[in-house]
Amino acid sequence: MNYAELAATLHHVGERLSKHAGKIEGESMGQSARILLTHLSKFEELLDGYIASRKSGELLLETLLRSPAAKRHLTIRLLKEGLRNLTGKRLRSTDLRAAKREFVERVHEAGRQDEASEFLQEAFAEAIHVDSGGKDKASLQREFVGLGQLAEDEFAQEIQKKSLGELRRLAETNGIRFTDKTNKQRLAALVRRYAQRAVFNISAAA
Amino acid sequence: MSSKVLAFINFKGGVGKTATVVNIGATLAKLHEKKVLIVDIDPQSNSSVWLMRPDRWREHVTGGRKSTFQIYDDALHGKNRFNFEEALVKGVVTWTGFTDLPRLHLLPAAVELLRIEDRVHELRDSAVYRLLDAALSSYFKEYDYVLLDCPPNLYSTTRGAIFSADSCVVPYVPDYLSLSGFQVLAEEILNMRERFAPHLPARRKPNIGAVVVSHYRQSGNVYRLAINELELSIAQLQRSGLLSGQTAILEPYIRHCVRVAESTNEHLPVILYAPGSIGAQDYCDLTQRFLNHFESKK
Repeated sequence: MNYAELAATLHHVGERLSKHAGKIEGESMGQSARILLTHLSKFEELLDGYIASRKSGELLLETLLRSPAAKRHLTIRLLKEGLRNLTGKRLRSTDLRAAKREFVERVHEAGRQDEASEFLQEAFAEAIHVDSGGKDKASLQREFVGLGQLAEDEFAQEIQKKSLGELRRLAETNGIRFTDKTNKQRLAALVRRYAQRAVFNISAAA
Repeated sequence: MSSKVLAFINFKGGVGKTATVVNIGATLAKLHEKKVLIVDIDPQSNSSVWLMRPDRWREHVTGGRKSTFQIYDDALHGKNRFNFEEALVKGVVTWTGFTDLPRLHLLPAAVELLRIEDRVHELRDSAVYRLLDAALSSYFKEYDYVLLDCPPNLYSTTRGAIFSADSCVVPYVPDYLSLSGFQVLAEEILNMRERFAPHLPARRKPNIGAVVVSHYRQSGNVYRLAINELELSIAQLQRSGLLSGQTAILEPYIRHCVRVAESTNEHLPVILYAPGSIGAQDYCDLTQRFLNHFESKK
């Protein structure tokens, strides 16, 4: 059921009740009406709160603070920075749960819920770490493909010109995992194997 | 409203197409307050049964009338029975029995769509790929994002989705089988660009806007090397003109997460079913990247 259907049901019951109100009697009807009224009052209270928080922007703010993105990226430091920027006030809480509550309260007092949501959305977006591979990634990838096309002796000559550090950078950028103990010879063998595979796979795909 | 229509395509199955559509759609609606329409045109109806309980879905689409099937059936029989408002499912029903995610709408599929591919050859070629667009484009304007969940093939219904879309998103699993299909996909889309050109406004050209990687595991070399080969392949296709310079692999990659698989049984997107899971976190971050990518291209 959706809320529009619930509204229609309530409306329908309300109309019928209104039409027959003067004729209704008996204990079971009275008891049932009392239970309905209790639940309706609670529901109306919740609904009022929901509508108010939606209108003020607090709902989105709370949603963001409870979101999976918050679980990954939200820190007390971020909340401190946000509160200072938005209200000029200092966040006092020292644990994250309390800090979230304090943040919402202070933002609410300042009436800056929309700005706070915007701040969090931007902060979460910035916090997503993407390893760009560095500015020379494209050239290292081209070099990798080039190495994969070389004959064994040509490959050996090219590798000889490189330091271990350069070879590590080339391997790392092209997805080859190695350890600190991996020596140049072993790393060169890995680069040769996977560079040849890349050339084969890409040209086969093409 | 300026809507963005995106076709999620890959003729390889099991690449996380539906998971990507459902979870990006839900995250856009929940955390970014975007109005989203998911259009399911896959006879397997996976988006539909992910977001609807099977009994409710069966009841809703009985006979195919309140589903995307009706669009094609109308064209084949010269009828006009498809009614967008009647077919539309608004929000997802949670365990409470009430709806959540009111900004997420679904146009469900029905298994009757299986019969469509056998019969669409009865229609003129150009009429086939324009069917979806003709039936739905006026409604698309009501949404920020329209996500078209296509079947794992490049037959008529998928081509129709590509015709309707501003851009295509390719869900991808980092292995050679996916890589080998990617080039073919890029070529096919280029062919469609030429065929569709006379029927499309100049600004709308079929293209691969983004690649989304699923089933990723961080351990070992395997997946990093496979992603590197995908990057090399995309660079090569861009140099040869098969892909535009704007085609990007969106990060983060979606890691394998059992909670995402479980969420299909609960008929909820993972952001509602298990918001603390790595699956939900990955989709949240991916959706942010997705927004950055497609909003900057507007």
